[in-house]
Amino acid sequence: MEQACDDIDQMFSNLLGEMDLLTQSLGVEMIPPPSPKTPNTEFSFSVGFKDLNESLSALEDNDLDALMADLMADINETEQKTFQAQKPSSSFQRNSFTDSEPGFSVAASCDYQSNIPAAYTQDYEDYFPPPPSPPPKPNFDPPPPLPELSEPLSKEELESKAKTDKIKLALEKMKEAKIKKLVIKVLMDDDSSKTLMVDERQTARDMLENLFEKNHCDCNTDWCLYEVYHELQIERWFEDHENIVDVLSDWTRDSENKILFLQRKEKYSIFKNPQNFYLAKKGKDAGKEMNEKNKESLLEESFCGTSVIVPELEGALYLKEDGKKSWKKRYFLLRASGIYYVPKGKTKTSRDLACFIQFDNVNVYYGTQYRVKYKAPTDHCFVLKHPQIQKESQYIKYLCCDDSWTLHQWVTGIRIAKYGKTLYDNYKFAVQRMGLASRWPNLSKADPTVTARSSSSGAVQANGQIHQKATPVISTNPESFKHAEVCKEKKPNVGRDLEQAQVQPIPSTNYQQIPKVALRVSKIPPPAPARISSQFYSSAPISLPSSVKNINTNALSPLPPPPPSSLPPADVFSLPPPCENDLPPPPDDFYDPPPDFLPPPPPCFATGNGASLQPGPPLPPPLPSSNQPKPFVKKPIPLPPKRLDMTGLHSEEQRLPRPAPAGGGQPDFMSDLMKALQKKRGSNS
Amino acid sequence: MAGIKTASGDYIDSSWELNVYVEEMGPDADPVRLRVTGDTHIGGVMLQIVDKIQLSQNWSDHALWWEQKKMWLLKTNWTLDKYGILADAKLLYTPQHKPVRLLLPNMRSVLLKISFSSPVFRAVIETCRILNIRHPEELSLLRAPEEKEKKKKKDKDTETEKIHDLTGLVLPGGSTQQMYKGMPAYFADSAETEECYKVLSVSQTNLTPEHITKIYKPGSVVDKTQINSRWLDSSRSLMQQDVMTNDKLWLRFKYFCFFDLEPKYDMVRINQLYEQARWAILLEEIDCTEEEMMVFAALQYHINKLSLTSDPLAQHRDSKLDDLDSALSHLEVKLDSAAPTNVLDSIEAIPELKDNLRLFRPKKLTLKGYKQHWVIFKDTSISYYKSKDEARGEPLQQLNLKGCEVVPEVNVPGQKFCIKLLVPSPEGMSEIYLRCDNEQQYAKWMAACRLAAKGKTMADGTYQSEIQNILSFLLLQKSNPDCQIAADAENMNTQALVSPRYQKKFKAKQLTPRILEAHQNVAQLNLMEAKMRFIQAWQSLPDFGISYFLVRFKGCRKDEILGIANNRLIRIDLSIGDVVKTWRYSNMRQWNVNWDIRQVAIEFDEHINVAFSCISSNCKIVHEYIGGYIFMSTRSKDQNTALNEELFHKLTGGHEAL
Repeated sequence: MEQACDDIDQMFSNLLGEMDLLTQSLGVEMIPPPSPKTPNTEFSFSVGFKDLNESLSALEDNDLDALMADLMADINETEQKTFQAQKPSSSFQRNSFTDSEPGFSVAASCDYQSNIPAAYTQDYEDYFPPPPSPPPKPNFDPPPPLPELSEPLSKEELESKAKTDKIKLALEKMKEAKIKKLVIKVLMDDDSSKTLMVDERQTARDMLENLFEKNHCDCNTDWCLYEVYHELQIERWFEDHENIVDVLSDWTRDSENKILFLQRKEKYSIFKNPQNFYLAKKGKDAGKEMNEKNKESLLEESFCGTSVIVPELEGALYLKEDGKKSWKKRYFLLRASGIYYVPKGKTKTSRDLACFIQFDNVNVYYGTQYRVKYKAPTDHCFVLKHPQIQKESQYIKYLCCDDSWTLHQWVTGIRIAKYGKTLYDNYKFAVQRMGLASRWPNLSKADPTVTARSSSSGAVQANGQIHQKATPVISTNPESFKHAEVCKEKKPNVGRDLEQAQVQPIPSTNYQQIPKVALRVSKIPPPAPARISSQFYSSAPISLPSSVKNINTNALSPLPPPPPSSLPPADVFSLPPPCENDLPPPPDDFYDPPPDFLPPPPPCFATGNGASLQPGPPLPPPLPSSNQPKPFVKKPIPLPPKRLDMTGLHSEEQRLPRPAPAGGGQPDFMSDLMKALQKKRGSNS
Repeated sequence: MAGIKTASGDYIDSSWELNVYVEEMGPDADPVRLRVTGDTHIGGVMLQIVDKIQLSQNWSDHALWWEQKKMWLLKTNWTLDKYGILADAKLLYTPQHKPVRLLLPNMRSVLLKISFSSPVFRAVIETCRILNIRHPEELSLLRAPEEKEKKKKKDKDTETEKIHDLTGLVLPGGSTQQMYKGMPAYFADSAETEECYKVLSVSQTNLTPEHITKIYKPGSVVDKTQINSRWLDSSRSLMQQDVMTNDKLWLRFKYFCFFDLEPKYDMVRINQLYEQARWAILLEEIDCTEEEMMVFAALQYHINKLSLTSDPLAQHRDSKLDDLDSALSHLEVKLDSAAPTNVLDSIEAIPELKDNLRLFRPKKLTLKGYKQHWVIFKDTSISYYKSKDEARGEPLQQLNLKGCEVVPEVNVPGQKFCIKLLVPSPEGMSEIYLRCDNEQQYAKWMAACRLAAKGKTMADGTYQSEIQNILSFLLLQKSNPDCQIAADAENMNTQALVSPRYQKKFKAKQLTPRILEAHQNVAQLNLMEAKMRFIQAWQSLPDFGISYFLVRFKGCRKDEILGIANNRLIRIDLSIGDVVKTWRYSNMRQWNVNWDIRQVAIEFDEHINVAFSCISSNCKIVHEYIGGYIFMSTRSKDQNTALNEELFHKLTGGHEAL
C-alpha cells in the first residue's frame, strides 16, 4: 500500500506532463498560445484527476484488477456499441487532432481575465453541443464535433456579452463537474473484498444497496458499512444517511483504516426492541418482550412527536483522563443536548450539571481491546471524537462502561441524541428495502415502471441514486467532462502512445482476471447478467490485443449524450439501438478496425439476451435493433437499474437495457482505470 | 296562563310567584315578580321577564341561573316542576357570556367574553376559536392566584398596563376561516383588532431582567404543585365554579402533547406555546443546564430580532420567497460591486479577506502573546505569513476551517475582539486565536470563519447577513452598561434572555459571547422555525411535560410527589427528588376515584395496584389529568375528525358525568 502511495506523486506529475504535452502541442499547431494561461487549464484537469487517481493508486494491484474486471464486464456487454462507437472515436481522434485547436485558439485569443473559463468554454462547446444536436443521430455520429469546432471561430466576432454567458454556463458545468469520486475496497465478512466506486453524492445506504446487489445477500436491516480505525482501535458503522466520501476524505493518505461490510444487530436494535431502551429499569438488562403494537406506539411516541425523545440514561462510567493512563469514575447523564456529568459535591439536578461534551462535532465509536491498549477497566468502551481526528489526541474522549449492555445503551442513546428522527427514517427505509428484497422473486416479471415508481417514491436517497445511475458520466460528471477532453485531446497524442505501449499489458490483466471472475460468479448464485457476459467476453478479448482501444473509444460514445440530464436519457438512450442501425453507414473509412471486433460482439449479445430469449446470437446488428429499442427506453429509468439487474435474471428484456447506461457510465472510469493501471505497471516495471 | 284570580283577588289556579333578578337592572334592584304555575316552562318564564322589564335589547344570550342549586336552566322546554323550582328559588336572568380578563400563555391579558354556562371544556374551545388556536383540547383555564394586598398596590401601575379588548370580535358563521392580511379576517376589521392579533401572534420583545425577577417563581417541587391546584373543572361551567364577571383567569396549555404543530396554520398557537415554554424556562419552572440555557437565550434573541425587523404578519408568506428575495438582493449586491470591474470577476471570484491580524497559537509551556501576521482568508482556509511582503511565498501555515469550531471571545467595552478557532486535523484539534482591532473587522472575519466551518465560502449568500448579525449582537453589549433602562425596541437586554439564576451567575459581558456562540447555530432559522426549535428544545428537557401533585400513597406515612406526564405517572421522592417509580399508561388497566376519601386507585398490568390520596389539589384535577392524557392519545391523525367531546367527559368527568 505504501508503495502505491509513493506512486501517487509520480502519477500526478505524469499526468501533469501529459497535460502539458497536450496543451503545448495544441498550442503549437495553433496560434502561439498565451503560455502563462494554458498551465491553468492543465491544472484544473489534473486536480480533477487527483482524487480518483489517488484512490486508485491506493489500491493493490489485484483490487484494481478486480475493479477492472467488474467494469470490463459492463463494457463488454455493450460490446455492440463499443465497437460501433469506435469508428466515431477514431474519426474523432483525427478530427480533434487537427481541428480541436481552433477551439483553443479562440479561447486563447479572446482576452479573458481568467483563461480557465476560456478553456472550458471551448470544451463546453465541443461536448455539450447546442440544443439542436441532441437528436439521436448527431450524438452518435462522429462528425458533430467538427461543425461545432468551427462554431467558436465564428463566435470570435460576437460581443463579449455572449461570451460571458457561455462562460457562465461553462462555469456552472464545472461546478457540477466537481464531483469527487473515490474507489474503495470493502472487506466482506468472508474475508474477501470488493472494490467499489463511490461518488460524493452517495450515502451509506446507496453503498449498501450496491453491495447487496453485488453479493446477493438478504437485504436485512443489520447490514452495515463499518469503518475501522486501525490506529485508534475504534470502529463504528456508518449511519445510512451519511455521506461516504465526506467521511473517507478525512482519512489520511497512509491510513490503514478499513471499511467492512457486515451485519450488526446493534445497528437498529433500538427500533426492534425499543422497550429495552425506553422502558428498561435502571441497571437491568434487556430481554423484556413486548408485543408489536406496543412497540410501534412506543416508537411513534418517541420518534414521531414534535421532538425526538432521547432515552433516559445515566450512571457511572469510567473516563480516561487527558493524557494519563488512569481511568476515573464519574457519574454521567445523557440529555438531548449532550453528555453531562455531576461535578464533585453537587447533585444531579439540571442546573448543577457540567457539560462533558455536545454532539454537534463528534461521532461516537466503539473502542476495541482497550483493556490492553489503554488499561481500561473493561473492554466495553466508547469513544467520542471529531471525525477528522485520525491520530491519538487529547481531543478524543474515551469512556468505559461496566458491561456490554450499558455500552450499547450509551452508544445508541448518543446516536439518537445526535441524529434524531433521521435514524428512524433510515430504519424505516431499510425495512422497506428488506421487504422489497424478499419479494424479489415474485417481482421479477413485474414491469420496470412499477418498480421504478415504487422505488422512487420510496425514499429520497433513492432519487439521488437515480441520477447517479442514469446519468452516470454524462455532462454532470467531472470525469466525463474531463474525459471528453482526455479522450479527444489526449488520445491523439499521449493517449495513443500509451495505448500502444499498453496493448500488451492489458490483455494480461484479463488473463489474470478470468479465474477471479469465474470464481465470483460461482460463489454468487444469481450472478448479474453483466458478470456472465464479462466472463464470457473476457476470454474473447484476450485474442484481441486491441481491446484497449476498444475500451477507450467506448468512453467516447456515451459522451455525446450529455446535454440531456435525468429524464431525457430515456430518449437518448434509446439511441443505442439506432446506432446499431447506424452500424452500416460509418464503416466507410473505419471499417477496417471493426472487423476484428465483429466476432466478439455476437457472442456477447447472445449472453446478453440470455438463454431464454430467441436465438438471436449469430445475427448481431439487425435482430437486436428490432427488439431492443423498447428495452432501452425502459432502461434509463433511474434507480430501477439496480433492481432491474436483479430481476433481470429472469427477464431478458430488462437485462438488455443495462448496457446502455453502463456503457455510458463505466467506460469513463475505465479509461481512468486503464491509465492508472498502465502507470502503475509502468512505474512498477 | 297562570294567575287567574277571583273577584276577591285570590288566585284560584295553582299559580305562585316567582322572583327573578335581572342582571341588567343592577344588583340592588328589586326582583321581577312573575306569576307562574308548576307547568310553566322555562322559555315562557323568560318571555314573561322580557315582557315585564320593558327594556329593549338583545336578550338572546340570556338564560336563567338558579343560585341555590348553582345550575343553569338551559332547557327551555322543561317545566319549572321538572326542574323542581319552587317559590323560594332565587333565579337570576343573566347573559351566558361574560367578559373575563384572560392571561394568555404569553403573559398578556385580553378582555374576552367567555361562556359562563357551558362546561369549561367547551368554553375553552370557543375561546380558542376566537383566538385562532387549533386543538383547544390541549388548553384549559386556571384561576389566577390570589394576589396579596400589598403586592397589588405596588404593582398597580403595571397591572393596568394594557388589556386588549377582544369583546367586540364577531366570529363569522362559516366553519372555514378566511385569511386576510395574514390573519383571520375578523381580526382585520380595525386597527385595534389588528393590534390584538399581533399581541397574540408576535412574541414580546422588550423584556427586562426586572420583569422576570418580579414574577413569582416556584422554588421547590412543592411550589410547583401549587399551580396545578388551580385548574378549573372542565366538565362544569365557570358560573358553577364561582367565577365572576371580569375575573382574572389564566389560559394555559395543560396537556403537554402538542398535536400536529403546523407553522402554516398555527401562528398564534405556536407563538403562545413558545411563550409558555419561554416563561417556564425564564421562571425556572423547568430546570435546564447552562448549555441549554444558552441555546434558549440565543433562540429568544433570534426570535426577538426577527419579530422586530420583519413584519411578523408577513411571516405566513412562503419562506421560499424569502430565500428568493435574499438571493436576488445578494445578486444585486454582487452585480453592483462587480459593475465597474470585469464581469468575470463577479462570476467566479470568491471574495478574500486579507489583513494584518494578531495571531496567537497556544502551545504547551509557552506564554507567547499575540503576534502580528499577514493573514489571508480564501475559500474556506486561512493562511498566514510573517508579513505582507512574504505573501507570495509559502505561508507559515495554512488551515482549512471546514468542520472547525468557532468560539467568539469578545469584550466590547474592553475592545477585545478575538476569534478562537479549533481546527480539526488528523492529529487532533489545533487551537488558534485571531485578534481583530475593531467590530467591523471582527464581524467580517468571524462571519467568514462561521461560513467556512460549514464548508461555505464568502461567496455564499448568507455572508452579508452573517456580518450584520454579528454587528448587531455586538451593539447589544455595547449599549448595555451605559443605558440599563433603555428598553426600547431596538435594544434587547441579554440578561433578560436567561433565568435569574444565570443572571446572577454571569455578568452581561460574559453572557453575550456565550449567547453569541450558541446563536451561530440558529442564526439561519426563520421566525417560525426558531420558535419551533425552541419548543423542541424545551420538549427535550428531561423534566418536560410533568405536572406535579402532592399526594400520599396508600400505606405510606409521608407525602410524596406524583408527576403526571403525557405517557406515564412518576412517583418522586419529595426530599431527594429522585424518581422512585414510573408507570406507563400503556400498562394501565383501569383507574377509579373514591370521591369520599379523595383517593385515586389505579390498576396496572400484572396486578399492580396503586392508590393515593391527593393533598395539594382536588382529586378531580388529578383524575382529569390522567383521563385527559388518555383522551389525547386517542386523537387520530385524521384532520377532519371532530373533537369527541363526549369521550373527553367520559374520561375526565368523574361521577358527575355518569
